[in-house]
Amino acid sequence: MLSYTFDWSVITSGQYHDWLVSGLKVTLQLSLAGIILSFLLGLIVAVMRMSHLKVFRWSACVFLEFTRNTPLLVQIFFWYFGSYKLLPTAVNEWLNNTGFEFAAGLIALTIYTSAFIAEDIRSGVLSIPKEQMEAAQSSGFSYLRSMQYIILPQAVRITIPPLVNQFLNLAKNSSLAMTIGVMELTYQARQVESYTFKGFEAFTAATVVYLAISVVITFLVDQYNDRVLKIHKGA
Amino acid sequence: MKKLVALFMMTAAVTVAAKSFAAPPADTLAEVKKKGVLVAGVKDSLPPFGYIDEKTRTIIGYDIDFVNAIAKKLGVKVELKPVTSASRMPQLQEGNIDMIAATMTKNPERAKQIDFSHTYFFTGQKFITKKGSVTALKDLEGKRIGTAKGSTSEQNVKKALPTATVLSFDDYPQAFLALQQGKVQAVTTDEAILAGILAKSPNKAQFEIPNVQLSDEPYGLGMRKGDKNFVDFVNKTILEMEKSGEAKKIFDKWFGATTDFHLQRNFKITADK
Repeated sequence: MLSYTFDWSVITSGQYHDWLVSGLKVTLQLSLAGIILSFLLGLIVAVMRMSHLKVFRWSACVFLEFTRNTPLLVQIFFWYFGSYKLLPTAVNEWLNNTGFEFAAGLIALTIYTSAFIAEDIRSGVLSIPKEQMEAAQSSGFSYLRSMQYIILPQAVRITIPPLVNQFLNLAKNSSLAMTIGVMELTYQARQVESYTFKGFEAFTAATVVYLAISVVITFLVDQYNDRVLKIHKGA
Repeated sequence: MKKLVALFMMTAAVTVAAKSFAAPPADTLAEVKKKGVLVAGVKDSLPPFGYIDEKTRTIIGYDIDFVNAIAKKLGVKVELKPVTSASRMPQLQEGNIDMIAATMTKNPERAKQIDFSHTYFFTGQKFITKKGSVTALKDLEGKRIGTAKGSTSEQNVKKALPTATVLSFDDYPQAFLALQQGKVQAVTTDEAILAGILAKSPNKAQFEIPNVQLSDEPYGLGMRKGDKNFVDFVNKTILEMEKSGEAKKIFDKWFGATTDFHLQRNFKITADK
């Protein structure tokens, strides 16, 4: 191994390059869809968790404890293999013919990440003085409308930094989807390795791409803070 | 803290230095005789080729019997090191093991990096499918086929069936679960491994291995490139085992009628051309 010679041509052009690019596309699709869906689901769960109706609060609690305290890999297997036992045969057949791998991976990533996002948003909401909610409701806003117009806009703003962490985690966790055959970036890097024995090149490329995705997400959110929310670093 | 960093750097430097001095021996045969032990890289979770015996807690199997026979001929002891499909070649090249006996298919790409013995096990890549669903290779065109990552099976099936969707799982049991749930229409790998999966399956009556062969899979023992003395010795030994009937006995012990596999031995160990 000491005599290993790097050969970057393997990944800069040709078939193996195309594999890595197609893997990158799948990773980006998984990450983008996952970020949007898990944020929306996280918002809903956070609002339910803080609801004054017991049934909402309790079901949100059960959901949070279950998803936060089980490994993501197990959840991916659950949605891909375990759902088979719960669904009717016709649905299973339809799913099997439409390429359920991507959907199962996306569902698992979304649900797993949404639990963390919900807790982040809740801590943001708790940092808003509760008099604001009382004031909103005494001005005639319903609970949901007070959340929508008064509390959440402020809470989400405070929550941005921890949310970025969750988005970064989601982008990196998407690599676990390869265990059920989703052909994303890590899957393709491994594929290139087993065909060419050029694992160092393939995984170096994959590492650089993950790093780039993370840097871009961080940059975009920083820009959003700066331009839209007028929160300046260090201020 | 500074001391800690210095210590760490020193350890790293020493490790690197030690590694670069411990170059793999050029003549493994002489080296193995001198140290009195043959270190072989084997599979430890792939019955019946190499797996851990529940009672004795040691690794046993078809591959291991060959290693033992070669060591006996040399008059040395055996040390078995578990390897994976991905780790076995680097381990050999770094000199951590003297030979690979781990269900390794001989192919030209691999032969550029290491030397192979004559074929000591011969199988072919086949499929497991639901009973009656496949009679010829064309029945699988456009279908979804499961296999394990990083295997030659994956590469062969992509070449033979370009219209099929190949789904690679981490291991064969998962691929077989996907078949049971209808997520793939077939699972493909070497027949000997498929027979092992089918033998253990609780609902084996629903599945079969149709007589559709994708490729020949000759297994060879792997040795370092250019290690001529050792390769010659190993080849001579396994040819003798064929002649004396010992090789057939080992096959029957692990794959024959008294096992779950019921495989016929359709090959003989002969000198490669």
